[in-house]
Amino acid sequence: MTELATMDFHPQPRPGTARPWAFPAPERGALDNGLTVLRCHRPGQQVVAVEVLLDAPLDAEPAGLDGVATIMARAFSEGTDKHSAEEFAAELERCGATLDSHADHPGVRLSLEVPVSRLPRALGLLADALRSPAFDAGEVERLVRNRLDEIPHETANPARRAAKELSKELFPASSRMSRPRQGTEETVAHIDAAAVRAFYERHVRPSTATAVVVGDLTGVDLDALLGETLGAWTAAPAKPRPAPPVTADDSGRVVIVDRPGAVQTQLLIGRVGADRHDRVWPAQVLGTYCLGGTLTSRLDRVLREEKGYTYGVRAFGQVLRSAPDGTGAAMLAISGSVDTPNTGPALDDLWKVLRTLAAEGLTDAERDVAVQNLVGVAPLKFETAAAVASTLADQVEQHLPDDYQSTLYQKLAETGTVEATAAVVNAFPVDRLVTVLVGDAAQIEEPVKALGIGEVRVVRAE
Amino acid sequence: MPMGHTATAEAGSGGLTATEHRLANGLRVVLSEDHLTPVAAVCLWYDVGSRHEVEGRTGLAHLFEHLMFQGSGQVKGNGHFELVQGAGGSLNGTTSFERTNYFETMPTHQLELALWLEADRMGSLLAALDDESMENQRDVVKNERRQRYDNVPYGTAFEKLTALAYPEGHPYHHTPIGSMADLDAATLEDARAFFRTYYAPNNAVLSVVGDIDPKQTLAWVEKYFGSIPSHDGKPEPRDGSLPDTIGEQLREVVEEEVPARALMGAYRLPQDGTRACDAADLALTILGGGESSRLYNRLVRRDRTAVAAGFGLLRLAGAPSLGWLDVKASGDVEVPVIESAIDEELARFAEEGPTAEEMERAQAQLEREWLDRLGTVAGRADELCRYAVLFGDPQLALTAVRRVLDVTAEEVREIAKARLRPDNRAVLVYEPVAAEAETPEAAETTAEGTSNDEESAK
Repeated sequence: MTELATMDFHPQPRPGTARPWAFPAPERGALDNGLTVLRCHRPGQQVVAVEVLLDAPLDAEPAGLDGVATIMARAFSEGTDKHSAEEFAAELERCGATLDSHADHPGVRLSLEVPVSRLPRALGLLADALRSPAFDAGEVERLVRNRLDEIPHETANPARRAAKELSKELFPASSRMSRPRQGTEETVAHIDAAAVRAFYERHVRPSTATAVVVGDLTGVDLDALLGETLGAWTAAPAKPRPAPPVTADDSGRVVIVDRPGAVQTQLLIGRVGADRHDRVWPAQVLGTYCLGGTLTSRLDRVLREEKGYTYGVRAFGQVLRSAPDGTGAAMLAISGSVDTPNTGPALDDLWKVLRTLAAEGLTDAERDVAVQNLVGVAPLKFETAAAVASTLADQVEQHLPDDYQSTLYQKLAETGTVEATAAVVNAFPVDRLVTVLVGDAAQIEEPVKALGIGEVRVVRAE
Repeated sequence: MPMGHTATAEAGSGGLTATEHRLANGLRVVLSEDHLTPVAAVCLWYDVGSRHEVEGRTGLAHLFEHLMFQGSGQVKGNGHFELVQGAGGSLNGTTSFERTNYFETMPTHQLELALWLEADRMGSLLAALDDESMENQRDVVKNERRQRYDNVPYGTAFEKLTALAYPEGHPYHHTPIGSMADLDAATLEDARAFFRTYYAPNNAVLSVVGDIDPKQTLAWVEKYFGSIPSHDGKPEPRDGSLPDTIGEQLREVVEEEVPARALMGAYRLPQDGTRACDAADLALTILGGGESSRLYNRLVRRDRTAVAAGFGLLRLAGAPSLGWLDVKASGDVEVPVIESAIDEELARFAEEGPTAEEMERAQAQLEREWLDRLGTVAGRADELCRYAVLFGDPQLALTAVRRVLDVTAEEVREIAKARLRPDNRAVLVYEPVAAEAETPEAAETTAEGTSNDEESAK
């Protein structure tokens, strides 16, 4: 069959001796104003990452004003007591800095990245934004209009559309989690500068906030710098808000969001399960990777590399919200897109993969490769300051200890095949999955009904 | 063979150094040491991209890139992915107009494995390439095309603009993803011929960056790659040169089911590797980069006619670069309102040039982008290959920031005046229609999923 190459072949090389690596341990402290600070020196990382977490969760948004946390987050970069909106953006860019902020269920997060040479100036701007945001009526109105303009773009995007529908299906209507994080046309239209300021005054203060600073801090007097900048931020203290419990209806069913003429069907198959506080988490991470973490995992081995139905399908677990008492929930899901004519066969294969996994379990070889990957990639994954800062911030947000990530690696390495199998089978039970399909209902409804994976309902195109 | 480049840091390189070597079979090797983290990046650039494709076979370079992950002489099936990931590494491949790259980032102690794998497929891919993997990856790539371009609003804008900006028959007229018809038409023999023509050590650059022992690394490279025969006979790519300006405004109106009106444009700009290209980069940054740019301030903040407005630069070495404009309209605003505001801003900029503060901001932003790119071993490995393949000198990667910082305000004004004009652009206007989807169509393609102007294997 082949043409034999004329190169010299050598046996596959054996690995050398691993150089030890550990997830960096941050130093924890607090400023006089109550702001918690985690810092971490990463030699060579010239771009410093700063994350600020605010205890302003989405469930704190007033009724009918979904999206006010998002508008507030965006308005932080739209001017302060020292700079107009245009000047603020210009000053940040003059530092070569980026400032992103977004609101999610656990709270509002601001992420600053800046070359260390310009850290003092950028930290000053960040502190101004938190301490004395302008929330100018005209700028807020513009942000509201801009947000309203974004919504149709999100609706037109199959992956975003699927995520919105799954939240609506899974969570009770009374739960903030059932509704779009950034609000709907109706709620966003009611947001104004007064509403943004009221939300800010009620939920934003240093005593319930945390700043994480990571990068090459050689020669930086961080204490003095933080004192002059974030240290100047004051507000009356308040107690952290209790998080409402998360409940979800994961009875097996299918919702098709109709998109006539779509050449592919977007799949999002999910439910709610354990968060990082649960002892099962490491096994769940491991099992989920074996199911759909990469191109050689069970799902893609069939759906992509054998059948060619998709460019790739992934299984993942993503923490929605965790509370200090150790309760919380994660979204467990499988997502990807498959070509329209093969939607039925692809879902049939996907369910077969899940059933086979439940019946036969994972193999030791699969488990070993997964552990080697998940643990082995850590030094690559955390090369940049931003990656370390973001993980440290996640830990704070989820009320986990500062050494959580390093402990997780030990636990992954100790997790056996049986535990990983049990965890992933429990995470993705075939009869308790809510399937959202964004695609051409006229072509996919009948084949999907024939699979018997739950009642099928069609949501007509908006 | 070592060529004896010294490893002394140049000014503006952030203390980074690289050495260059060449094996007897023509494989160029670039090494750069950095022991801060126990990781090493391997990056291999083959000097072949979609510009080398012939009529009727668009998308072949990218489809072929996928086949490079389907096994080779000593590697079974998906072994390349399995072995790298099982060693705690990450990997992918991408195809653009001008090159195809393959890369692995490994924990230091697994570096040798990545070199062995890359050598195996460079020397013996055809021992494993068969109909089954060809048929399977053809379907995967077609689904990649559907997912990234055909099934998303405005998904084919880049493909349409490129086709407008580069004339029929020009090597950059089509994008790396290719057409469905050509993907269907590609044969196993096409793939074999493609490999025999372009996949040779003398048509590639290998960079290894990170926690490495250069001497040991070079010995491994010699051991695994050294016996792969070189071969000549690669056809020169078709000439990509074009006049400096288009000379007229090209225009296409697309009526499609999209959420809002959009105005997109492609300006013909100087080739990468020139000082004028760096000046154009600064001009586009001042006009349309970030949220303090002239277009953002005018359209999004003041006129409130747009949801988003920005410029990007697609740097190309073998043809004119593209200045890429993307504006999404707000509410019911009509395109001519936006277009005349843009023309006004560009004309004013061409007359007045940038302010000192605008230059400072744009240079700070571009400097920061370089720090990001050179801040990881994988990013550095890719840039070293890029400068070696496209410009013959990897050292240029380490001084790129300095060159951007050297550009003057007057040079920025000159390039804007000469190039950012209505008669030097292709314009694509989107007018939304209700329901009834049409099939729309992008620059890079990847093995596993990535940016708009790149296609990847994964």
